[in-house]
Amino acid sequence: MNAATQALKRLPRDARDTLFLLAVIASVSLPHWFYLPLWCSALSAVVIFWRGFLAWRSAPLPGRWTVVLVLCVVLGLTTMSHGNLIGREPGLTLAVSLLALKTLELRARRDTFVVFFFGFFLLLAQFLRSQSLVMALGALISVWGLLTGLVLAHMPLGSPALSLAARYAARMALMGTPIMIALFLVFPRIGPLWGVPGADVGGTGLSNSMRMGSMAEIALDDSIALRLRFFGPRPNPQGLYFRGPVLADFDGQQWRPLRPRFDPTDQPMANLQLRGPVVEYEMTAEPSSLSSLPLLEATDAITTNTDPPLVRTTDLQWVRPAPMTERARLRATAHLSFAHGPQEFVLGLQDYIELPAGYNPRTLQWAADLRNQPEMTNASPQVLAGAVLNHIRTAGFSYTLAPGLYGVDSPTGGIDEFWLDRRRGFCEHFASAFVVVMRAMDVPARVVTGFLGADDRETDGFTVVRNSAAHAWAEYWQPGVGWVRADPTAAVAPERVERNQRLRAAPGPVAQVLAQVDPQTLMTLRLGWEAVNNRWNQWVLNYSSTQQFNLLRDVGFDAPSWETLAQVFAFGVAGVTLLGIGVSYLQARRVPPWQRELRKWRQATARLGLQWADHEGPLLIAERLQSRFHTAAPAPTNAQAYETPPGMTTPKPAKEPAAPSAASSEAPPATPPAPPSADPWPAASDHSTANSGVPTVPQTVAHLVRLLHALNQSRYGPNPMTRPDARLTRAFIDHARQLKRLLAAHPRAPAKDGPPSAQRFPSDS
Amino acid sequence: VIRERWQAWWQSRLPRTDTLRLGQRNIYILPTRAGLMFAATVLILLVTSINFQLNLGYALTFLLAGSALVSMHQTHNNLRGLNLQLRPPADTTQGEATPLEILLSQGLGGKGLQARYGIGLRLVNAPEETRVWADLPDSGPSLTQLQCLQTRRGVHPLDAVHIETRFPMGLFRAWAIWRPASTVWVYPRPEADPPPIPAGQALDGGASSRPSNREDAGDLTGVRPYRAGDPPQRLAWKKAAAAMATGSELISRCSDGLEAGEVWLDEADCAGLALEQRLSRLAGWALAIQRGDAAGAAGVAGLAGVAPRFGLRLIHTPPIAPGEGMAHLQGVMRALAQVKA
Repeated sequence: MNAATQALKRLPRDARDTLFLLAVIASVSLPHWFYLPLWCSALSAVVIFWRGFLAWRSAPLPGRWTVVLVLCVVLGLTTMSHGNLIGREPGLTLAVSLLALKTLELRARRDTFVVFFFGFFLLLAQFLRSQSLVMALGALISVWGLLTGLVLAHMPLGSPALSLAARYAARMALMGTPIMIALFLVFPRIGPLWGVPGADVGGTGLSNSMRMGSMAEIALDDSIALRLRFFGPRPNPQGLYFRGPVLADFDGQQWRPLRPRFDPTDQPMANLQLRGPVVEYEMTAEPSSLSSLPLLEATDAITTNTDPPLVRTTDLQWVRPAPMTERARLRATAHLSFAHGPQEFVLGLQDYIELPAGYNPRTLQWAADLRNQPEMTNASPQVLAGAVLNHIRTAGFSYTLAPGLYGVDSPTGGIDEFWLDRRRGFCEHFASAFVVVMRAMDVPARVVTGFLGADDRETDGFTVVRNSAAHAWAEYWQPGVGWVRADPTAAVAPERVERNQRLRAAPGPVAQVLAQVDPQTLMTLRLGWEAVNNRWNQWVLNYSSTQQFNLLRDVGFDAPSWETLAQVFAFGVAGVTLLGIGVSYLQARRVPPWQRELRKWRQATARLGLQWADHEGPLLIAERLQSRFHTAAPAPTNAQAYETPPGMTTPKPAKEPAAPSAASSEAPPATPPAPPSADPWPAASDHSTANSGVPTVPQTVAHLVRLLHALNQSRYGPNPMTRPDARLTRAFIDHARQLKRLLAAHPRAPAKDGPPSAQRFPSDS
Repeated sequence: VIRERWQAWWQSRLPRTDTLRLGQRNIYILPTRAGLMFAATVLILLVTSINFQLNLGYALTFLLAGSALVSMHQTHNNLRGLNLQLRPPADTTQGEATPLEILLSQGLGGKGLQARYGIGLRLVNAPEETRVWADLPDSGPSLTQLQCLQTRRGVHPLDAVHIETRFPMGLFRAWAIWRPASTVWVYPRPEADPPPIPAGQALDGGASSRPSNREDAGDLTGVRPYRAGDPPQRLAWKKAAAAMATGSELISRCSDGLEAGEVWLDEADCAGLALEQRLSRLAGWALAIQRGDAAGAAGVAGLAGVAPRFGLRLIHTPPIAPGEGMAHLQGVMRALAQVKA
């Protein structure tokens, strides 16, 4: 590791930058490699690795024709894999390949921009597949990498450290975060501009049709479909049926929603009769391609306003006009105990005994045989259903997620093969065969799909329903009662229904290793992770126009609308701009502290009639002061007394030595620094009283000189202070004022017969 | 053309100064082409986020927009508070480049101290490739050198300097234009191998005549290759015979340690030449004398190996009295530089 960093440091800058950029490209492409055709992922990885090798060896890049050749191959393979070059998946395949190929003509700095823009497209594209927390964190790191690469490209000189560029990138991103949050909160969430994401959202999950075997795919999907929070006691999660699409139209292969042949008046009514206690709950549903929202059976009312509104159909589904392309959150009430459907026969029930002609003759015969048994001659549908369920329980049916395909040999005999020959399958096989058999006995019946059961434990106050809980069951019509639920899967695999053993695939090698870990720990970890994930979903991914308006309402807008949002947006932008202008105006006008302080000193000396030009240092002024007032220059040792002790930022001067005589023409000896007094810079008046009498002009001048030396020390000395010491200035101004008073009292100032040195400063006189 | 005139007009409004502190008033900032591409990218990301209702897409888009906004300020800050100081440029000759030494330092006070990277300097009219980069990673100053090619003789104001930065993200380009107040002296290009200074121009008086007498008297101690104009009596004839036999060059005897004479460099001696060539020859003579390579002078006054005192006589300007030393040479050269065409 250490050797590797050493080697990295020895690389020339271009090679190092290229390697870094390649690493960023790899991190951007990585999430796509899992989804793209194998050849594309492999090509991308190999090209990036090869380019890295070339950079490491400082070898020449391949010629243009090689790249063009590979590009042609990529185009060909894309067409083969996806059938065309237009569309999302082919587009992504091309983008990932092109980004890799671009590295082959990547001359480090100049091409960073291309990589940069490509990289952001790919980052966004990966959100089309998943917006999970992990994805977001990965993307954040990639963004950081891309920004770092960009900063690096704009440091043309020398070989700047990666960490330096990374720091700058992080600083920019961090400073940009408030802007991001503000925009995220306020930017109007308008619907899709064109097209519909449609089936792309929630690739797995319930669908609007059922073909035997199609649900096996969902069984492998452990992702979350619904989250529920119950107000009041939580019902047993294992017995919860969530009613999704009701399928009653069978073409021999596939179940679809019914297209009624009868007038609406003749169709069976919902006729929902509620019993038992009310269950109130809040539900968050992940997006899906369905317009039907799987709600708890039987939900009688939705108490929140949803846009567009959800409508309950006669078969107890809750549907909306368009697919749920965004996460939906709603509150509703349900009754777990209920009855529904017409009590008397209506014409519309004819639709529910339709069977396609020519399909599954042996099953039909089997049903007829059952019906013709003596004890069944006048049996009610309930008895018939009981007999069929009993047959399932006793005739050697087995429950498996991998039953193989039915109807391969004879397309018209899929159910025959299941019901009479192989007898292996899962919920949809049983539900579909059960309905066919019931219909064959002239009992109206239909397939209901949805979810059965939720996680046993609550996570973060939510009850979670996973896609793997997808289920299919049956309903048959019983005169005088209505529709009756029958779950034939329960007959063969009671544990599937009763103990909530979800559809579960055979464990792979990884799962076997994971199984070694204490299941309790695993569960805790998993639940904790899901709690975090739920927060992420609720706060970030679920943020939509509803939340925006709620936020505005919380802030104090009475009736928020798009106009309010736009106003807030506009005012925010204007406010920030004005603030920025104000700040930069103040900054431009701001005088640096030292300049401000020195200006005061200059004003004080000017009052004494002493010129102090901008470029002149304090020592020069001290000298000028002394020559003006006829006092000798203090020896440098004097200044030493004012030197800032190391480690101290404020100069602690020696206390003013009591000058013995007025004519202290000799510099005071290097007095050892006295213990610092409470006020290191006594005001002039204090000084005068301490000196037991009126201070003389030379004394004051000596003090001023000393202060100038102290200023010099703190400004230009070995440890210059970043901020001036205001006390020094105050003391100087005080003493200067005092000197002026003294001079006024004795108009015959000693400077009258100026020393020859004074002629050096003609401006003084 | 309009653009050039606009720029010329704009630049002429800038005050000339040798020290410049960059601030709000003299820094311009605009997005670069890459910045516009970036804006397009962000727009596309935004449309994608809207269309697919990707909240994370919104987050990414806005993070990029925020970073870009911050980078704009940082690009501006990278120049703001920067002090530029021009060191007085040295005199140069026509066709050579003057090194312009510019000291970049952190300004004092509020916005002064900060690390600055990727500051590029070039002359306004120079191509992009001539840009010189400077970094100021800490409080210390940084000295940069621009090469400023001088093609016109005379004394000129310096070209304006273009200071530019794109750090940190290259989405914005902040620049300032600085017109230094210093002027640069451009001497005429000295003739590479000027003919000897014509005879008769040596000044009267012992200083010039005596050495030639001494030389004539045979006080010749050294030899050197023959140059056109060497008097025949100073050829080393014995060696010359051998040289002629072998085809190598002739040898002249020369003297050393003679006292310097005085020489007039007279424009009238270069009659028949164009003005620039005349100036060029005079400059060549002056330089030759200064170098001590007084071959030309030797031909006239019998001086060799010593820099004589020389004066300059031009047709339209008052003569410069003979003198010696670098300052004198500079005066002569400047006088030559200033001759009006």
